[in-house]
Amino acid sequence: MTEKTWSPTSRPTVSASYAFPAMVAVRLLVALVQPFDLIHDHQLSSPLTSYRNLQEGIHLFRNGIDPYSGGVFRHSPLYLSLFSTLIPKSKTFSAVLWTLCDALGAYALVHIWRARQGLGKHAHSTRDELVAGAYLFNPYLFLPSVALSTSSFENMLALLALMFASQKKQSKALLALSFLLHTSLSSLVLLAPVLLLLLSDPHSHLASPRAFSGDLKRLPSLMAEFLLYFSFLAVASCLASGGITWVSQTWGASLTLPDLTPNTGLWWYFFTEMFDHFRPFFLMVFSVHLLIYTAPVCIKFQYDLLYASFVLFGILGIFKAYPTLSDPGLFITMHVLFPEVYPYLRYPIVTALLHLHASLLMPLFHNLWLAQGTGNANFFYASTLVFACANGAAVIDALWAGLRIALGEEKEGWVIAQE
Amino acid sequence: MYLISTLVLLLCSSTIALENLVLEEEYTEYLSIRSLRDGKVASSFSFKTLLRDASPRDPRQLSFDDNQDASQHYTLFPLTLGQILRQYAITELHLTLNAGKWNYDSWGVPDEPGVGPGAELWAWMADGGTMSVDHRWQGLRNALAGLFCASLGSLDEQRTTSPQYAFPPEGTIPDLGLPHQIRHASHASEHVCTENLTPFLKLLPCKSSSGLASLLNPHRLFDADWHGMGIHVLWNPDGIEVHLNFQLVSDPLRPSTVQKQDWSLESLFDRTIQKSCPVAVTSQISVSLPSSGMYRITPEPHTLQGDNAHYELGSSLAEPFNVGIEWAGELEYPSALRDSSLMPISIHRTLQGPTQDKGRLLVTLRNNGPNELKVLYLETMPWLLQFYLHTTTMHIDGIPRNDLISNVSYILPVPHYQPATFESVLTIPGNATVRYSVDVTKAFLRYTEHPPDAQRGWDLPPAVFVPSTDSLRRMYAPALLVDLATPDFSMPYNVIIFTCSVVAFIFGSTFNLLTRKFVVVHLPEGN
Repeated sequence: MTEKTWSPTSRPTVSASYAFPAMVAVRLLVALVQPFDLIHDHQLSSPLTSYRNLQEGIHLFRNGIDPYSGGVFRHSPLYLSLFSTLIPKSKTFSAVLWTLCDALGAYALVHIWRARQGLGKHAHSTRDELVAGAYLFNPYLFLPSVALSTSSFENMLALLALMFASQKKQSKALLALSFLLHTSLSSLVLLAPVLLLLLSDPHSHLASPRAFSGDLKRLPSLMAEFLLYFSFLAVASCLASGGITWVSQTWGASLTLPDLTPNTGLWWYFFTEMFDHFRPFFLMVFSVHLLIYTAPVCIKFQYDLLYASFVLFGILGIFKAYPTLSDPGLFITMHVLFPEVYPYLRYPIVTALLHLHASLLMPLFHNLWLAQGTGNANFFYASTLVFACANGAAVIDALWAGLRIALGEEKEGWVIAQE
Repeated sequence: MYLISTLVLLLCSSTIALENLVLEEEYTEYLSIRSLRDGKVASSFSFKTLLRDASPRDPRQLSFDDNQDASQHYTLFPLTLGQILRQYAITELHLTLNAGKWNYDSWGVPDEPGVGPGAELWAWMADGGTMSVDHRWQGLRNALAGLFCASLGSLDEQRTTSPQYAFPPEGTIPDLGLPHQIRHASHASEHVCTENLTPFLKLLPCKSSSGLASLLNPHRLFDADWHGMGIHVLWNPDGIEVHLNFQLVSDPLRPSTVQKQDWSLESLFDRTIQKSCPVAVTSQISVSLPSSGMYRITPEPHTLQGDNAHYELGSSLAEPFNVGIEWAGELEYPSALRDSSLMPISIHRTLQGPTQDKGRLLVTLRNNGPNELKVLYLETMPWLLQFYLHTTTMHIDGIPRNDLISNVSYILPVPHYQPATFESVLTIPGNATVRYSVDVTKAFLRYTEHPPDAQRGWDLPPAVFVPSTDSLRRMYAPALLVDLATPDFSMPYNVIIFTCSVVAFIFGSTFNLLTRKFVVVHLPEGN
């Protein structure tokens, strides 16, 4: 079993040290120029993450109307208090803020990579620029950010939580996680892997599986600390919004799906076409279905919880209630953290072609249905099904490769199969 | 005359209950006809029944046995309506069913202000007792739906609002020691037709067999350019008044080969009045006389009051009664008049945007007078269309004037449940045109929420404007049609099957990978 090592270089080359700022600058330029008006795009921002809805909520809040009494505003009160007090309502400023948030996400990803390689915090690896670039220039991540979708904030929080967990910074990781859970309830599936990651180590053990190495006795205290932060944020939210109506309007939305605006996920058309008397049952099925992956994935990958969270990001990108392109985008970008599994992927070309197919057809069919009026809803629905298959294929392939790597290279006359 | 009507009253009521004679009931009927400047003729029938010394029911008595409520014996007052009013303890009620768009600019102020397109129902109710206001409101609209054969049942929670200022009580609110609440709902796609007129006529003491009501010929009423009926119940210290009215705007120029504006009762309604209604205290026809042109009115008016000619229908008519105006020349409608408006403000309201997911609501208000005017602006918008209030703009000739909007009150819509109520005061400087606009997003509905013929779109209720100078004279902007995205209605099973297949494929493969063991199998040579 040979594993490539990514040699640390204590002193980065001049070109490398400028690469990261240069990439951020390019992103900032595109965000400021705003070549297209993407704010309305249903694929880039869902009703839960739309910048327009956020602005409406802030406007109502500033005018003394409770934005959670109905309507379109479904953002967490944390966003409301952040944007209504600190941050000016200017599009230029927002473009800068969203770019900075992506830069922070890229920074976190680089540091997760370094922690996984066992490099020091300040050590530089030859692959840093590639990791940052994969985050900053993935179109699935970068377009929602240009469209000012708050899913960029959620991705950043998720990566920060993983980064702190990899660096064993317990409180920071739990705080980032509770922020994440407040802004997006479906991120509950990441709770277990992040807690377990804090107890174990972020290094790659895919090739040499073993039983969970951490000390599970610390779990209750971690859980308690997380609950403390989480309830603190809940109380802060209640104070900021002046009531508890925000709970049903924000978290309730991802459970009851009141807004059927099309997105890239599987829920919207399913519940548009659902018979009324089956709706509550299927809402329950879809919500529970999202959660049932957590335990098996964490148990199977108990020796490498970073990989488990990677797989769960993929599951979230397919099955969450209001996904945007940034959710599967984060999963695709995170492939860059696990180069050791690349040789074991079975059909990366097929997956890539499925993604190409879906990413070309989705905007096209969306436009044909809603703007041109020459196509109907089934066109767009069909392209989201292809997209789900593409993401599903990627997750399944990642699972296969993550497990298959433990058996090493195939020898002449022997094949590897499942029982 | 008085003797006969008293006799009829006695005959009608003696079999029911003697004590009802204590309650005096008074029925009056009135028809006003006026020629409009574009050649059309507006007629307005008004039938009023006053139940003296009666008062609205206290909702706290609703829990008591209905048999103790002895006051449900009427002679002239419509019993079916009275029962509904008492059962749900309604203080004030207004129901209008209209078809067409009232052209304010060239027709001026309507005789009855309720000219909004489609059905509109609003009621004031005292809040107290065991039955909640919303519960009684639901009962009221279902009862009225049954009474008038109209789809008022669709005026459900998704269309019901409680606007604060635009619909003040037109009568008096009795002092029951209880707060009163308003419920308002409108449904622009519900049009008035013959099946609504028949129950309307049944509420009249003489039905359509005599009196002014005999002119209500459905073939002509529903052929008019604009027509609508209204049922209003209100309370004054005198008693409870039921006011039934029917308005129509007919076009005498349409059937005539020459451009002559001539009309008569016979030409308008294809009927004349054969006999008068014996129980009517007064039965009056009023014709507003044209201010210009040579014309002849027949027969000679009984009385003249200013520009109005009055006719009293006596208790018995010697010959069928007909009235009409004949002009000497053809109608002249100066083009200069076409652009001028008879109203203090002119209103245009449109929904812009080519796509099915978003749009822009644009309201243009022109102040036709030289003085600044404040206008109350009310939108009761179903949740199908949601406003982005942060994009509100006000412009005068392209110059932003966001200071012209004030007193904004906004009740947010709740998807699948409650409409939005947006009330504000707009200030319009003299002789200026104000453009108000706001971005909207169009909702995506469940497939069961779409009406039949979903591609036609949804009728949105009219906006209401109340100039501050005349708080009772509401103006209705025309209804709008919004085109919402539709799912494929034939696909529920297919979608459930496709989506579940994809979910099962991903779940199954994941389950497979996570639970089955990896094994290394030796393949023998040559196999």
